[in-house]
Amino acid sequence: MSAAARAVDVWKVYGVGEAQVIALRGVSLEVERGKFTAIMGPSGSGKSTLMHCLAGLDSVTRGQVMIGEAMVTGLSDAGLTKLRREKVGFIFQQFNLLPTLTAEENILLPLAIAGRKPDQEWYQTVINTVGLADRLSHRPSQLSGGQQQRVACARALASRPEVIFADEPTGNLDSRSGADILSFLRRSVSEYGQTIVMVTHDANAASYADRVVFLGDGRIVDELHSPTAEAVLDKIKSLDLTVGAPE
Amino acid sequence: MIKASLRGLLQRKLRLALAVIAIVLSVGFLSGSMVLSDTLNARFAGLFATINENVAVQVQPTKESDNGERVLLSAAELEKMSKVDGVDKASGEVSGQGVVPFQSDTGDEVTTQTTIAAGTDGRDPLGLVELREGDWPHSADEVAISANTAKLAKVKRGEQLKIFVPQLGEPKNYRVSGIVGYSGGRDSLAGEALILFELGHAQEMFYGKRDVFANASFSAKDGVTHEELKKRIEAQLPAGFKALTGEEVTEQQSNVLGDQFSVFQIILTAFAIIAAFVGIFLIYNTFNIIVAQRSRELALLRAMGAGWGQVVGSVMLEALIVGGVGATLGLALGAGVGALVERMLTSGIGLGIESAGIVLSPWAVLWSYAMGILVTVIAAFVPAIKASSVPPVAAMREVVRPDKSLVGLTITGSCFLVPGLALVALPLLASVPQSTLILAAGLGLVFIGVMLLSPMLAKPVVRLLGYLVGWGQAGKLGVRNSLRNPRRTAVTAISLMIGVTLISAAATVTESFKTSLENDIGRYDVAIIVLGPNTAPPDGRTGYNPTAMDKVSQLPGVTDVASWHITLNGALGGQPYPGLAATDVAVAQRMWKMETIEGRLGKLSPNEFVIDDNLAKDRGWKVGEKVKVRIEAVERDYTLVGIYKATPTVSGPLLAEAAVDDFAGGLAYQGFVSVSQGTDVAATVASVDKIMSDYPGVTVGDMSAFLKQFNQIFDFLLRAITFLLGVALIIALLGILNTLLLSIVERTRELGLVRAIGLSRGAVVRMVGVESILIAVFGCLLGLVVGVGSGAALSQALIEADFMTTIVLPWTNLIAYVVTAILFGVFAAVVPALRAAFLNVLDAIAYE
Repeated sequence: MSAAARAVDVWKVYGVGEAQVIALRGVSLEVERGKFTAIMGPSGSGKSTLMHCLAGLDSVTRGQVMIGEAMVTGLSDAGLTKLRREKVGFIFQQFNLLPTLTAEENILLPLAIAGRKPDQEWYQTVINTVGLADRLSHRPSQLSGGQQQRVACARALASRPEVIFADEPTGNLDSRSGADILSFLRRSVSEYGQTIVMVTHDANAASYADRVVFLGDGRIVDELHSPTAEAVLDKIKSLDLTVGAPE
Repeated sequence: MIKASLRGLLQRKLRLALAVIAIVLSVGFLSGSMVLSDTLNARFAGLFATINENVAVQVQPTKESDNGERVLLSAAELEKMSKVDGVDKASGEVSGQGVVPFQSDTGDEVTTQTTIAAGTDGRDPLGLVELREGDWPHSADEVAISANTAKLAKVKRGEQLKIFVPQLGEPKNYRVSGIVGYSGGRDSLAGEALILFELGHAQEMFYGKRDVFANASFSAKDGVTHEELKKRIEAQLPAGFKALTGEEVTEQQSNVLGDQFSVFQIILTAFAIIAAFVGIFLIYNTFNIIVAQRSRELALLRAMGAGWGQVVGSVMLEALIVGGVGATLGLALGAGVGALVERMLTSGIGLGIESAGIVLSPWAVLWSYAMGILVTVIAAFVPAIKASSVPPVAAMREVVRPDKSLVGLTITGSCFLVPGLALVALPLLASVPQSTLILAAGLGLVFIGVMLLSPMLAKPVVRLLGYLVGWGQAGKLGVRNSLRNPRRTAVTAISLMIGVTLISAAATVTESFKTSLENDIGRYDVAIIVLGPNTAPPDGRTGYNPTAMDKVSQLPGVTDVASWHITLNGALGGQPYPGLAATDVAVAQRMWKMETIEGRLGKLSPNEFVIDDNLAKDRGWKVGEKVKVRIEAVERDYTLVGIYKATPTVSGPLLAEAAVDDFAGGLAYQGFVSVSQGTDVAATVASVDKIMSDYPGVTVGDMSAFLKQFNQIFDFLLRAITFLLGVALIIALLGILNTLLLSIVERTRELGLVRAIGLSRGAVVRMVGVESILIAVFGCLLGLVVGVGSGAALSQALIEADFMTTIVLPWTNLIAYVVTAILFGVFAAVVPALRAAFLNVLDAIAYE
């Protein structure tokens, strides 16, 4: 089975000369299809950069990134746009819903942008899973943070993308809402075979994943499979990775 | 606090740049018009100062009396005043208007701005002109002319010069006895022509008797001040005269000339005010959005203990600086443009007067700053109050501030709109006094009402328009974006609405008038029109000798001719009435198909007259009424014998032909010719033109040519209005640009998101473009509805006054305005759309 996304010897350098910052130093990673992968690391470890590069939001300085069979590296803006439209879903820490659209319209936006008709059966499954059936006609401003993030999750799922990238999806939520979101992500992986990559600094959040990849100083330093929260915390301690605040 | 707001200002300088530009444009308009008129006046003052160089005191008639009688100075009175102690030399002036020389080779009139015609006894005591060659005129057949006149008429000393003098009615040949020039070797003062007749001959021609003068100038002996001499002469003044110093005369003369251009300044000022008004909306939006974006920062200041007043103050300070900077730049722009236009104007009309340099009066500076600062302060006031109401807690967390309801605004708007519509309808449905005023007030209220209702209207209208332009997902998002803040959309659209309202109202009235005239004129039995010169107001001394019409009536195919004598110097029933006409009413009735309403038309006996029905209603006169009619200084009792139906072409009082004897001269101002079917009109026009060639300024044309000329004037006026409103429209365009730019900054995160989930750059451009076009078209439609409505109401009022017969909507223009609005939308969207499309997706998503 091929990887859903892959980074091969990826380097990312910002700035030049004195101000040069190396965010990624030759990272190679395969994101397994149908699995929930968490990327952990302290502030400045490069975890967000790695995710942005994998998702085609940022370019790499050296190395290659692929999503499914498609080469991401070297694509033009139009190519990247098309790739994101067809193969990638996003969940952000700040929810990032369009205030002018209702919850339903927000969920269907990526499909509308791509000019695709939603698969009604799947759409029903998604909104039932996130439990939003009675909130569909609400505007984001009428929803709580947890509800907004669930809309964002449904939006990412609606188009059944190759990979969903979630950037600290629980960072702005209380623990209860956060747990809701995480179990929802977990279910979409287990039950529907969705591939998810999540960046987090929260050991508890990481424990929902199938695999945790630890980043430190721009390199992959270790990984865990089928982790528990305790195992993750132990690993962090043993690696002496001080987990920073959310970025 | 001040430091904080100044620093903030610098950071937002780009966002404020457009607000500054709006100020620059409107202040530039205002100061430009002021600089233009000041510079022009200074130039004229320079000219008259030269003319009056040796004049210490001038004695001239006090304001012409109401009965139109001309007061003259006798030779004896002049003699008496010249004996006043302190008078060095005295000069009596004799001058006539409407004198025109002809060119020796082509026989055409000499065309100059003015021709000065004066009498001379061979002396020029005040030394304004000097004889260059030949001699002064000594007989009624001789003239001396200026070197410039000789050049223009292409004559030399000793040759014959054909000159038209209105009092004579026919051109006459004079021998050029001498050539004169001005001091300093100048051929003319300002490109004018100068003709000097023998004094007695001039007096007889211009005043009908010898030994009289229009006014007199005196030079002072050494050591006598002008003021002192003025006092001494005042003691000897004949009744009906006043004395002025040379300086006062210069001021008076340059004001008279300057006043001819003051219409210009008034019009430009009006357009400057419109531009400023439009600018208010742009600046209001700018500050509103800036305040919204800064709410966290403002809340922080409040949390740290900044008072309510300090927050308001910081926003107002920003407004003051924007206004000040804008006014300064606008003043500079205005000075440059004003001076440039002044140069173009003066060289365009052949005024060879030396420039006095650019004049930037303190008033121009004061008004520029007043306007610039007033506009920004008014515009920023509401946003400043809004800024102060940001709760300090907003510094810590997002405070959701729900959209203010539009109910209050809608009710207020209706409170303007409904009475406004009632006031507009009132004079159109019933006859009421002061109907024009009521109509204007009504239209004003409607305009304000629609402005206030526009946020409420924005939603349905924009949504509807959205179906037309909101294609695809990008289009739909654009439509949503323009709907999300109806107030902002409305305020932006209003700035466009203002200009479009005025333009489309003007276009509607113009089109209706043109069509009415065309329909009306086609009904009459008039083929050829003869028109007097438009250089001087008609009073019987401009136009053609009616005997010329006898020659016209002999031309083949001509069936009817009519001469109309017109004077502006008259009164009807004790009220001045500019536009009394004397003609053969029997012919007029035939030619113009006049409809009798009461009494009789046809040939009138002396001291009889007819009027149209509107005038009769207005004055409450019935047939048989005795009315006092004054022409020039003569007042007689006339009997009203008939009332006719007014048409757009014929209206007003028509007097019996015998009234011409009371006119200032015997020249007819308008002539009409009917021809039989199958007559070659073009050939007849040519023949009539030849007959009329002796009368300067008289033009001849067939009906369609005049109609065309008329239409051209209207089209030109409409173009001029459109052009002048262009500045307001440009500010409106900047307003849309501004709103879009600020909205894009505000929505950076959303843009990042839609890009992240797959919206292409092209689609982002479309999204912003749709929003822009919707705002522009919405504003345009509001303007079209109000403008066409106002235009139709005005037209209806004119129809009721019988000036027009029909209302026609200028469809071509209206469509052009909508297309222009769409182009404006596209144009305004370019920069914001590109900015939005090239946002870095990652930065945008993380944007706070």
